[in-house]
Amino acid sequence: MIFYGSTILWTLIVLFGPYDVTQGMSSKLLYVHVPTVWIAYLGYSLTFVYSLLYLLKRDHKYDSLALSNAKSGVVFTIVTLVSGSAWGKATWGTWWVWGDARLNLTAILLLVYMGYLVSRSFSYDLDKTAKNSSFIGIFGIIQLPILHFSVIWWRSVHQQASILSQETISTGSAPMSSDILTTLLISLVLVTIVHFSLLKKFNSTSEKLWNDYLNPKNRVKI
Amino acid sequence: MNKNFIFIFLGISLITFASVRIASNNTIFYYTTSEAIENVDISKSERLKLGGFVVSESISKTRNAQTNFTITDGNFDIVIIFDGYIPDLFQEEMGVILDGYFENEIFYSDDMLVKHDNEYISEDGEAYDVENYTK
Repeated sequence: MIFYGSTILWTLIVLFGPYDVTQGMSSKLLYVHVPTVWIAYLGYSLTFVYSLLYLLKRDHKYDSLALSNAKSGVVFTIVTLVSGSAWGKATWGTWWVWGDARLNLTAILLLVYMGYLVSRSFSYDLDKTAKNSSFIGIFGIIQLPILHFSVIWWRSVHQQASILSQETISTGSAPMSSDILTTLLISLVLVTIVHFSLLKKFNSTSEKLWNDYLNPKNRVKI
Repeated sequence: MNKNFIFIFLGISLITFASVRIASNNTIFYYTTSEAIENVDISKSERLKLGGFVVSESISKTRNAQTNFTITDGNFDIVIIFDGYIPDLFQEEMGVILDGYFENEIFYSDDMLVKHDNEYISEDGEAYDVENYTK
């Protein structure tokens, strides 16, 4: 219910929100592209934290949380790539720029976490799987700073960050109109809610798997 | 646990190395106009990418339907003859990245990317309707 409510509200905001006068309608993709990639960052960071906790404590609830955050992160990374591609077509004039650091690194980020999800099904032994996958969950995190600063470190067609930039944080004002900023922050809140409701769903699935694994006698007979 | 840390360290190094390597292969993703004049033979050159801002009131059509304009980085201007798909957002004072080659100090290009900056300015306080769209 919360999931559908916030998704619908978010769609309405994208449809009726304010847009940049130079770029026109396509700049509304800002409310999709930016919050989803931030939440993907959040998801992967939580995957990192829970993977580390799993390795240290060996408690299966941490593994479930790491897995569900990675799943949600992958969903949002795909949304960010698709919306970014459409936005690129509208402003730059192309769907994808091969050889651009920002774009390639985002694609690699998606591949690494898809690899994390795939690594979950290498073995039926959940203890082993959880241990091996948590390594990917831990070393995947290094991509986030590289990706985030890629537009500063390398010359790119991608614009620089408007909010999470040194300039904005030191001066306290973002280079955008206040109505655009407000709309962006509201959609960020909504996407966060979407993330946590997805998380709850994914988590109950993997808790069930763990439950079956730990108590084979309780497993439903088919 | 010690073995784990070695493994984590190796994984992190591998991903960092690969990412930096992939991104660095495109370090000079495009030349600015000043860099092009310094580093490239502008009487005749290989294909390269050139970036800059479109100079105001420089856009015109040539006789054979090519687009003629000037780009600058603030220090040097370069004349462009462009024949290809022009993105909708192409306009004066917009950043562009062009793919093409130099001949006789003119840059011939057939591939354009429009680079938008990170500023988003709405029509503050006005109602948003489709009629306001083309401003």
